[in-house]
Amino acid sequence: MKTGKELKPGTVIKLENDPWLVQKAEFTKSGRNSAIMKTKLKNLLTGYKTEIVYSADDKLEDVILDRKEATLSFISGDTYTFMDTTDYTMYELNAEDIEAVLPFVEEGMTDVCEAIFFEDRLVSVELPTTIVRQVDYTEGSARGDTSGKVMKPAKLKNGTELSVADFVEIGDWIEIDTRDGGSYKGRAKV
Amino acid sequence: MKASWDIFCSVVDNYGDIGVTWRLARQLVAEHQQGVRLWVDDMRAFVPLCPEADAGAARQWQQGVEVCQWPAQWSATEVADVVVEAFACKLPEGYLQAMKAREKPALWINLEYLSAEDWVSGCHGLPSMRPDGLKRMFFFPGFTPDTGGLLREADLLQRRHAFEQDPQAKQAFLQGLGVHAHSNARLISLFAYENTGLASWLDAMAAGTGPTHLLVPQGRIMGDLLHWLGIEQLPLGTVEQRGALTVQALPFVRQEDYDHLLWSCDFNAVRGEDSFVRAQWAGRPLLWHIYEQEEDAHWVKLNAFLDLYVKGLSPQAALAFTGLWHTWNAGADMAQSWNSVLQHWPEITAHARRWCLEQSLQADLAQALVLFYRNWI
Repeated sequence: MKTGKELKPGTVIKLENDPWLVQKAEFTKSGRNSAIMKTKLKNLLTGYKTEIVYSADDKLEDVILDRKEATLSFISGDTYTFMDTTDYTMYELNAEDIEAVLPFVEEGMTDVCEAIFFEDRLVSVELPTTIVRQVDYTEGSARGDTSGKVMKPAKLKNGTELSVADFVEIGDWIEIDTRDGGSYKGRAKV
Repeated sequence: MKASWDIFCSVVDNYGDIGVTWRLARQLVAEHQQGVRLWVDDMRAFVPLCPEADAGAARQWQQGVEVCQWPAQWSATEVADVVVEAFACKLPEGYLQAMKAREKPALWINLEYLSAEDWVSGCHGLPSMRPDGLKRMFFFPGFTPDTGGLLREADLLQRRHAFEQDPQAKQAFLQGLGVHAHSNARLISLFAYENTGLASWLDAMAAGTGPTHLLVPQGRIMGDLLHWLGIEQLPLGTVEQRGALTVQALPFVRQEDYDHLLWSCDFNAVRGEDSFVRAQWAGRPLLWHIYEQEEDAHWVKLNAFLDLYVKGLSPQAALAFTGLWHTWNAGADMAQSWNSVLQHWPEITAHARRWCLEQSLQADLAQALVLFYRNWI
């Protein structure tokens, strides 16, 4: 069983005997210390998509999935091809299947991802908890802050925007936490 | 078309749960001719809002609503056409089983908490599918047209207007509570949780240039008030004077009379959800003591509302108003922020009227729920 709070992209739950893939999950605090999870689900049998809301403590039946290590091979339009690192099998996914991690998927990345299979079919991919990406553009340091507490916007190679420490410069490599949608963790040693 | 409704209310703390559900139940009966059963797990919280009620009765009729004690051991009951689970209170397992067995599915609505945050409109009206095949719809009250709106009786603003146009009605109401305020006193109602900032606010009002008459219905703020006054108790109706400030304790009044109190005052400090909404319908400046949440989640909600509310105020007045709300909710020193608000009093007063009018142009929550059901069947 999984609770509503535990849903995340890549989770597959069973509803009325059908497997539904969580493509997106947004956690928000409701009133009096309760919380809700807004999800975007895809029926893995029919391809039908829908938005559903769960209370954080709702109990849901999850489907046990196979997981394998995979790396991104190449991107062609909206199609992302991943390769099984053990047997070199190629698998394709559409952009919307990996919507939640898409901002941090870019050509040439070497992260060893977790490919998620349902009945031998690749349905989603999870990135490692921490990834390293290069800053493609950011303004210069405005205040000369070195504490890391003052933040400023920055862009990655694929156009993804995020907040980074004020001292980060163009070309710097940074660590990003993928669990919370991509927050800046610190400057990476490359 | 008359549908049957079961509204479930679990009283967690204070009067917010029962306040909202009792108000909704009455409105569904009175304005939409629906058949409503209100299930309450703690009748003692219901009686102050409806003094005619019998806290020991398993079942009773009040103002057209069948009010039932929600028993610890659920016994078989016919499922209504519409089932409202207020504030995710968890329906009894036996009732869920009956819902599953019902030939024609019931509309199951989770009535959520009020929030002005952006995400609310994106979640309003969305379903929640359960593994057992039951489907629950999430319904969010709110301040924008893409939400479920706010509870407001159809004639509320007309009644308020009539009350305001009738000085004798106001006088009679206040006299009925034992309130004899100075004719030029600023009348303020105070309904709040415990607040360490109260003393500084009372100091500021006591040191003010004009008289202020503070009316305090029985509630959790009373301890802080007595501490500031330096007395052990403040019997209902008695008056304490400190400088320019007169303080008077009031009984906990029924919902209709609380509206009259809000309409009688120049400024209303309120708390939680139900009194917060009613203070907005009063069209007077207000101060909201929000329910404190873990990880400071309440600050996000407070600021989301302020962002909406202060639109249309001058930057100076918006700053003063926001500052007062922040100070109050932080339990900090109120003197400066109160005096800042006083400097913008006419503008903030006119704005409260305008905000009320704007909000009244939207469908009210009961109406939206009835429409939601009609569209669903």
